[in-house]
Amino acid sequence: MKVATQTISASECLLRMYDEHHEIEDYQKGVPRWCTGCGDNAILTAVQRLCRDEGLLPEKTVFVSGIGCSSRLPHYMNTYGFHGIHGRALPVAEGAKLARPDLDVFVNTGDGDCCSIGAAHWIHAVRYNMDLTMMLHDNQIYGLTKKQASPTSPIGTKSNTTPRGSYLEALNPLTVTLGISNVSFVAQVVDWIPEVLYQVISAAFHHKGFSFIRIVQRCPEWLPKQMDPWMHDPQRVLLLHHENGLEISPALAKVYTKMEEHDPANMNRAREIASSDDPIPVGILYRDDDIPCYEDVRHDSRLRTAEMVKNGLNAELDKFTVWPEGATHA
Amino acid sequence: MQANFQDQIAFYLTGRREGSKLKPLDGSYRPALFARVSDLASLRYDLPLILNVSGTADRVVLSLSHLIDEAVESLGQSADRDRIARHGYKLELELRKGSTANGSDDFGKMWSDAAARLSDNADPSMQDSAQKLWSHFDVAGTLVDADAEFPSRVVYHAWNAVQDTKAKRFRKKAERLLQKLRDILDAEAIGSAAGRAPDRLRAGVGTSFGTTFDFNAMSRILVEGKPGFELSGERRTRIKGLIEVLERQRFYPVGTNVDEPYSFAFFKCSDALDAYQERHDEAVELLRTLAIADLETKGEYRESVHDVLFDGFGSNGLDAEELAELPDYLVCTDAGTLDAVDTAQMVELLAAGLPIKVLVRTDDILEPSKVAEGHVALGLRARQLVDTAIGLTDVFVFQSGASHLFQMRESMIRALSYDGPALFSVFSGATGHNADMPPYLVAAAAMESRSFPALVYDPSAGADWATRLAVSDNPNLDDDWPVHSFAFEDETLQAGSENLAFTLADFMSMDDRFYGHYAIVEESYQSDGLIPISEALHADVTGLPSEVPYITLVDDKLTMQRAIIDDRLLLETRRCLTMWHSLQELGGIHNSHAERLLAKELKSRSAEAAANVGAAEVAQTEDAAVAEPTPAAVAPIDEPTAEDHGDDPYIESARCTTCNECTNLNDRMFAYNAEKQAYIADPDAGTFRQLVEAAEGCQVSIIHPGKPRNPKEPGIEDLIARAALFN
Repeated sequence: MKVATQTISASECLLRMYDEHHEIEDYQKGVPRWCTGCGDNAILTAVQRLCRDEGLLPEKTVFVSGIGCSSRLPHYMNTYGFHGIHGRALPVAEGAKLARPDLDVFVNTGDGDCCSIGAAHWIHAVRYNMDLTMMLHDNQIYGLTKKQASPTSPIGTKSNTTPRGSYLEALNPLTVTLGISNVSFVAQVVDWIPEVLYQVISAAFHHKGFSFIRIVQRCPEWLPKQMDPWMHDPQRVLLLHHENGLEISPALAKVYTKMEEHDPANMNRAREIASSDDPIPVGILYRDDDIPCYEDVRHDSRLRTAEMVKNGLNAELDKFTVWPEGATHA
Repeated sequence: MQANFQDQIAFYLTGRREGSKLKPLDGSYRPALFARVSDLASLRYDLPLILNVSGTADRVVLSLSHLIDEAVESLGQSADRDRIARHGYKLELELRKGSTANGSDDFGKMWSDAAARLSDNADPSMQDSAQKLWSHFDVAGTLVDADAEFPSRVVYHAWNAVQDTKAKRFRKKAERLLQKLRDILDAEAIGSAAGRAPDRLRAGVGTSFGTTFDFNAMSRILVEGKPGFELSGERRTRIKGLIEVLERQRFYPVGTNVDEPYSFAFFKCSDALDAYQERHDEAVELLRTLAIADLETKGEYRESVHDVLFDGFGSNGLDAEELAELPDYLVCTDAGTLDAVDTAQMVELLAAGLPIKVLVRTDDILEPSKVAEGHVALGLRARQLVDTAIGLTDVFVFQSGASHLFQMRESMIRALSYDGPALFSVFSGATGHNADMPPYLVAAAAMESRSFPALVYDPSAGADWATRLAVSDNPNLDDDWPVHSFAFEDETLQAGSENLAFTLADFMSMDDRFYGHYAIVEESYQSDGLIPISEALHADVTGLPSEVPYITLVDDKLTMQRAIIDDRLLLETRRCLTMWHSLQELGGIHNSHAERLLAKELKSRSAEAAANVGAAEVAQTEDAAVAEPTPAAVAPIDEPTAEDHGDDPYIESARCTTCNECTNLNDRMFAYNAEKQAYIADPDAGTFRQLVEAAEGCQVSIIHPGKPRNPKEPGIEDLIARAALFN
């Protein structure tokens, strides 16, 4: 758990005697409005399990999202959350982390939110390498707006914007991310293997730096059966395992026999694996713990007093003030 | 000749100089190895130092020579580099002379004065060079040279720098807590009915829109629409109390506290102890306040739990970690004025683990013993304290000559930053018995001669002696004495050289109280019977000696002379060597335990090797086939076996994606477990049809309907056929 790396004062230890245990229900808020059968539910459960297992304090945890089905996730977490505007989840999360590095910040975004309108933020968030955990819920379609092609829709996908089938090859979020400077954690999972989903999110959470997880997710409403060939044939899933990556349980290894030992430090092999969409690679593709985090490099040690915030705001507002003739700028 | 050697033997045995061929020693002689350092001010070396008050912790103490070298280096390959460097070295020389003659002063002032003096006399471009070099320095502080007060100045300055860092850390924490505590009170005030009164709301909007809103209505809506936020009386009182303690404390004053801050530097241990005891209750109150404020600002203070705990805070004493939040005490003492009571009190202070740093400055380590004639104390008082402090195991001990304070500055800062007691034993070199020898040279000579060795005992470094005790700052660590090559010319102007050891006898020859133990032997009367003292120390003499030990000196004309020493001095030198050997052993050099163990191990290995040779010869005559090593048995992996569910329905819960398909169908039959994954809570809470439909609807096909529990259910044949796909 991340707290272990911070200094624990005597008073904090005292507190932990009383308050350290949470149930999954403690992190649940409201009833999800997602369609029945939606893969977003699996992701929600995985992050709630993570919060419970790591004993994350709700008031020290933030989920930030943009717009889309995926981005409703903060509504269902009993933590702090920010349902932002389209494509801007990452800048909001970066701001929160920079101002409050003590918080655990998660970002939930979709293939439209991240790979289309928010693509610029995605690239720079990887380069900034702030200590955030980003989950890209990739269901290959705009679902909330009722079926339009997204950047990751496979070529030929028929949708309301592409009635004759989409014309372009899908964008591969893994190869893009692996090509950005300072990339420090890239993983891929599928929503229908909850055990691996949880393990990867947990590994991403423990990684110090920007963790990018692409979650291949079913959309039972607009693209039903799209992922069935992979879901019903374990041979079309390639499990990546390594002593520095995932440990595959014997039960899982019995079902998913197609496996590869892949060292997450090997960037060249990671890029090769990332290029494959059949079988779908599942596991940690790349990890580098030595990339510095932006918030550490740029941390401002000044105390953010009310006065400092007020002066800062005033200084900003003064830039747009029309000073009467003859008046001097105080 | 023979008769003269008899005189030398007699001197060696009795210390009495008979005959005219043995000349007395006086202040015009110095150890031969010091021949080149007659004028220290003209040489480049560590001193003078700048006690820097700007910059990071590693730049607290700076050497003038290093500073100028750094500045010259940073000039790169600019065209005027040579000129600036030349001027820099001239300024350095001028400053060194000035500091030796006039003592310490502000570095900036001394630098500009020196530049002005040199400009008048010689080069007009000197001022330009001085300014350019200064722009690279980035320092501010005092320039100090070695004198009796030098150790106190350096240690006090470094202590101040460490305390400044602690103070900044404390203030940052305290100010943050104060801010948050005040925020809690402010939040209550703003959230209260009074805070939402029309006047307050009007003041919040400002004059421009003062008439735009109906503030009475706004106030009414706000007060009625949103419940007020009010602290409990106990909590409000507690928070006010915490703020009051933080604002009033005098350890590290914050904000507008006008009270005089406490002083933590003392000249006597008793004064420091009195101050510590006097402030103890306040210290406990402050530390308790910090702990409570921490909880309070997080909203985690629970009266039912914490009141009892904090009522007893500090009643069991404060530990080093807690005390480390507050300033350390510094006591600067002079070993010459310490009496038995002071010493005992100092040991008690150190043993109590209080956050106290004690500097014991020794000016005279060759003080004659009060009880035994001719016996020298060799810094007895400081040595006693150092030995005792090391024995206390959790006291950081630092010992050095004043000459090496700069070289050992990292250890000094580490000792000052240590969260427990620390003892600094420093020899100033200002003995008053070394003619015109500068204190720097005397202190350096003491370290070279092993009479005041450097040591660092750091309890925080590890658990064993090897990591805790470091003696590596001493010269020629592995040897008995430092040995240097000494070059000279003989009568025929031919170059020659010999290796000279620098021993205690060489060091003592500089002290006027011991001149009587030396006799200069004229060259024409020197015989083969004279041997260097480093050899004489190991000679095993029984009966009348046939050899007389000598050391090599130079006179004021730099002519080499041999001075024989008496038996008393040889004994003292041998005692000093024994003490050095003991320290070497503690530092892991020539450790007798390790050497014995090594000898034993070597012996046992050679015996084992001999036995193996014999066994190999026997084996050659037999079948030499060697069996393949048996691979280690691999423990079988327990694979999970499929649980036998019989005809009952079941769900592979671990694969459930929590998609709500089944629970939406019948939430009494299907439910989520603690991992929020589905299981069959009650197979009788619904129909077999629901089970089959759930299995068909399950996205990941993990529901197995089993056999129907009610065979009379309508359409059962069809349902059984559909269920078969999932069983």
